[in-house]
Amino acid sequence: MAFLALQLLIKRAFLAVPILLCVSALVFLILRLLPADPIAMSLPPGATQADYDMMRIAFGLDRSLPEQYLIWLAKLLHGDFGGSIFFRRPVMELISKALPATLELVSFGFMLGVLIGISGGLGMFITRGRWGEQVLDSSTTIMMAIPEFLWAILLILFLGVLLPVFPFIGRLAPDLTLPASITGFLLVDSALSLRLDLLISVLAHMMLPALALAIGIAPLLMRVLRSSLLETIHEDYVTQARLRGISENRIVIRHAFPNAALPTLSLIGVQGGFMFGGTVLVEMIFAYPGLGNLMIDAVRNHDLPVIQAVALIYCVLVLGINAVVDVIYLAVNPRLRLKGRPA
Amino acid sequence: MRCSFHFTSNIITRNELERGLLMTDFNRRQLMTLGAGAAALAGLGVPLDVLAQASAKGQLTIGFPADLPTWDPNARTLAAVQSLYKLIFDQPLAQNEDASVRPSLVTKYAFTSPKTLELDLRTDVVFHDGSAMTSEDFKYSFFERQQQPVPQGGRKLDTSFIWRKVTGIETPTPSKAIMTFSEPMPSAVAWLYFLASFVVPKAHLEKVGVEEFTKKPIGTGPYQFVEYQQGARLVLVANEKYWGGAPKIKNVTIEFIRDPTARVAAFESKRVDVAIDVPIREAQRLGTQTGVTTSIYPITDIVLLQITKNGGFADDKARLAAHHAIDKAAISKALFGGFAPTISVPAALGSPGYPTGYEFKFDTAKSTALLKELGFGPDKPLKIKLASTNGVFPNDFDTARAIVQMWKKVGIEAELEAIETSVYQERLRAGTLPEATLFSWGNAAADPEFYGGYLLDPKSIFSAFKSDELAPKIQPLLIETDEAKRLSGYKEFHQFAAERGFTIALFQTVKTVVHTNNLNIVKHVNGHILPQTYSFKS
Repeated sequence: MAFLALQLLIKRAFLAVPILLCVSALVFLILRLLPADPIAMSLPPGATQADYDMMRIAFGLDRSLPEQYLIWLAKLLHGDFGGSIFFRRPVMELISKALPATLELVSFGFMLGVLIGISGGLGMFITRGRWGEQVLDSSTTIMMAIPEFLWAILLILFLGVLLPVFPFIGRLAPDLTLPASITGFLLVDSALSLRLDLLISVLAHMMLPALALAIGIAPLLMRVLRSSLLETIHEDYVTQARLRGISENRIVIRHAFPNAALPTLSLIGVQGGFMFGGTVLVEMIFAYPGLGNLMIDAVRNHDLPVIQAVALIYCVLVLGINAVVDVIYLAVNPRLRLKGRPA
Repeated sequence: MRCSFHFTSNIITRNELERGLLMTDFNRRQLMTLGAGAAALAGLGVPLDVLAQASAKGQLTIGFPADLPTWDPNARTLAAVQSLYKLIFDQPLAQNEDASVRPSLVTKYAFTSPKTLELDLRTDVVFHDGSAMTSEDFKYSFFERQQQPVPQGGRKLDTSFIWRKVTGIETPTPSKAIMTFSEPMPSAVAWLYFLASFVVPKAHLEKVGVEEFTKKPIGTGPYQFVEYQQGARLVLVANEKYWGGAPKIKNVTIEFIRDPTARVAAFESKRVDVAIDVPIREAQRLGTQTGVTTSIYPITDIVLLQITKNGGFADDKARLAAHHAIDKAAISKALFGGFAPTISVPAALGSPGYPTGYEFKFDTAKSTALLKELGFGPDKPLKIKLASTNGVFPNDFDTARAIVQMWKKVGIEAELEAIETSVYQERLRAGTLPEATLFSWGNAAADPEFYGGYLLDPKSIFSAFKSDELAPKIQPLLIETDEAKRLSGYKEFHQFAAERGFTIALFQTVKTVVHTNNLNIVKHVNGHILPQTYSFKS
């Protein structure tokens, strides 16, 4: 199993190279074709046309597009994303500060989404044909009909203002100071510094943005799981289990669910990727200092090096999630493991 | 000395309007006690002080709309974040509430020749690390830093462009600095309290380097840096040794909340004590609530149409017709609650460059007549393009739409296009702007050079209208050292530009500040938000 998983990961890594190259080239090209000028945007009073020309040279914007791309790519291979035009700092520094926040948020949102999706799917199946199913089915329709950013605003209004259960600004209560950065992940650092107040505050601040992201993936998971369970429940092994006198709930959980979960698992991989896209607006609304917020700043200021870098990081994260899901799929699906064996 | 001037501030304050039991108050208290959410929270063991109102602990929390790109205060000239730099750093000069100039680190200044500016510095100022601020720090901040080589792939400080005329700074004593310029720079005094002109500690910066400095900045300002999270918040503590007296509010947290709806929600849920730049309608609504004070007031920033001679605006009459057709007062009333004073020239009312008593009239008959002279009218409209950002400043696109409708009535058919700021900048640089573009221009110093001097000087990178008639009028003003002559010159210049259809100024920008009643705030017409001037009511 471990060998197969490693084999799969290596294969995915090789496949990722051309994908990343394509994405980077596409992002690079599209950004340069836009009729917008990042240098002109950041010119201070007193600057002249000569200053403008010099700055274009300093940022390499005077060169041909292929030249610019190759220079950027060469730097990238050395771990250098270049310097931000707007922030006047290395892009890597900006990303290294924002990425942990987004990873924490997405992970938490992902767990919430999967939890809601699976429990909801099971709930829909168990209550099939009854009013419970209707309620859950309608709620999935509502969840899917409303985009994430609107959920973010609704959650703020209902759980932040009207019923002030959760905080919704930033990552920490105003009277608490940041723990010493050990891993860069606030949640982990709070736990490592044995500060329960920090840990609770960080979790409370993550709740609403994570929920807004979770609502984006949960309804599809619920529906796919219910459909898979409906198909699985008519299989022979389920009938056999019934004949053995096993209770209906136990049949669902122990026999039908593991088999019905495979299509849901595939979907989790795809939805997990989409979740990163959702962070852009959700982070802005919740003033959450992650990659999404950074991307908004970069787009507003046409900060090309930052936009390129963040887009590429998103791509890497999506590919990474897909690879992890493939490994999990391999672990839970014996047929795939058998396929991998020599005849 | 420079003139002191006062703006006509139209400020509303709804202080503790008693309207019975408000729903929000009821919900907050009752539901926190009885609601299922609170019960669940208690069950989870979440301490309620995690959710408590910040000011309950003697701390001020402000919901601020913008974050700063870097903690090097000399690096960028972003108007939106100058208030944040002013918390930690000081400028040589400062401004009063009415935008008039007052001493700060510099106690006295005078041009001893057209190219020499002498400055006396305070002797009792110390940086947050305890070291004394001297003329060497001044020299470093305004001359030496600008001369330093730029690292590979790096960029010059913005102050390098602003202070490029400085040829040297003499420091005969620790409290005296003499600036010399390559050519007269009458706006130098205004620049000493404008963008990016902050004094930084030479010894400390040279010791730790820029990178370390920006991680924990040190200045002479009223607050000391405690913590900063990019895109999230800034935590400050009062500088008890501040030369101007320690701030009354000891702990300040700035929460960076870009989304206006979230800023309103943060205020309503009492997670911030002050919310800046909330939409006017929301500000008015919040002002009716018990315990809330709303201030809506015009500031020195302006909104105007950047116009060109391109396409349908080649003829002066077409541009003048377009200007006469805009009912600015109606737009102000409809979109800004009437709080945005209309302006006839690109300068704030009452500022030194505004021609006293001058008004460019809203006159549709005159507009129609001018268009008729050119052969246009409602039946045969003049076709032009109007570009506008959408959401960059309050009601930008709605303002543009209103103008399109007003123009339509007199016979100007404008095709409205939504653009990004970066697109505007690219077109401005390339000279491809359409006939008109709605634009917001910031000028906290309110000096006329930073209005017409930048917006109408054909050599300026910010000017859209390039006319040979403007250059001979503006160039002498840029080096005029007789202050009275300079100011009267700008008044005439601004009026000339409006009467010839070289500019279409619309109105001043409106600032909204919503805060709790337990707080005294000071409103600055330059738009700055300065918690060092605030206090809690006893």
